[in-house]
Amino acid sequence: MPGTDAGIRTVLDALEAFAAGHGLSKAVTWPVEVSLDEVLANVVRHGLLGRGEAATVEVELRLDLDPEPPVCEVVVTDDGPEFDPLAVPEPDTSLGIEDRPIGGLGIALVRRLMDETEYERREGKNRLRLRRRLVAMEG
Amino acid sequence: MQIGEEKQGGALVIAPVGRVDSVSSNELEKVVLSRIDGGERRLVLDLAGVEYISSAGLRVLLIAAKRLKAPPAALVLCGIGPGVRTVLKLAGFLPLFAVEAGREQALARVAGS
Repeated sequence: MPGTDAGIRTVLDALEAFAAGHGLSKAVTWPVEVSLDEVLANVVRHGLLGRGEAATVEVELRLDLDPEPPVCEVVVTDDGPEFDPLAVPEPDTSLGIEDRPIGGLGIALVRRLMDETEYERREGKNRLRLRRRLVAMEG
Repeated sequence: MQIGEEKQGGALVIAPVGRVDSVSSNELEKVVLSRIDGGERRLVLDLAGVEYISSAGLRVLLIAAKRLKAPPAALVLCGIGPGVRTVLKLAGFLPLFAVEAGREQALARVAGS
């Protein structure tokens, strides 16, 4: 995908169609969709330094339907400067409205929604792997 | 995402339908902020049609709450499904907002503010 909003939309549409095509309901896929949106938004808005169309972000989606529940794995690779989103400090989610900073919640959500998150810098690229068992998530 | 709007008494109901993600949340932010700037003080956000909400959407909720914090201004959320509730909870947002089950209750609550 190109490093643009249109690119994000294309990938989210593809994930939705991919999951629906395998008979998976929104009730189990939404945590992956939210997490992918968070990761791509971070990469496009910050990591690629506004290179947009000139930058390339690779997104791999894997769905393993053999186990019960099925497992979804997403790998996002970008060629921006080295940045480990998982190293960002956790925001304080106990603050009141007055004190809440606007933003900074995205990666915290990804951590809490996914079963596994793993970052590595490899061959000059950032590679973030997310994995989740596709079970319904109740608060 | 589509955005429905309905004026009911002294309140405005805004109902986004579809994904509230990092791209579509910009549209929601524009609508919500332009209505507040236009003088709306009692806002109901009906999220019944929302497939999922990411942090970009939470940002819009937080901005609206900050702008409508002083009574008689008010913001009430309603129509929150399981997924949206989980995200609000994980973000620590549930205690920050007035939440009602359905639109009617939300309108009653916002009118009493």
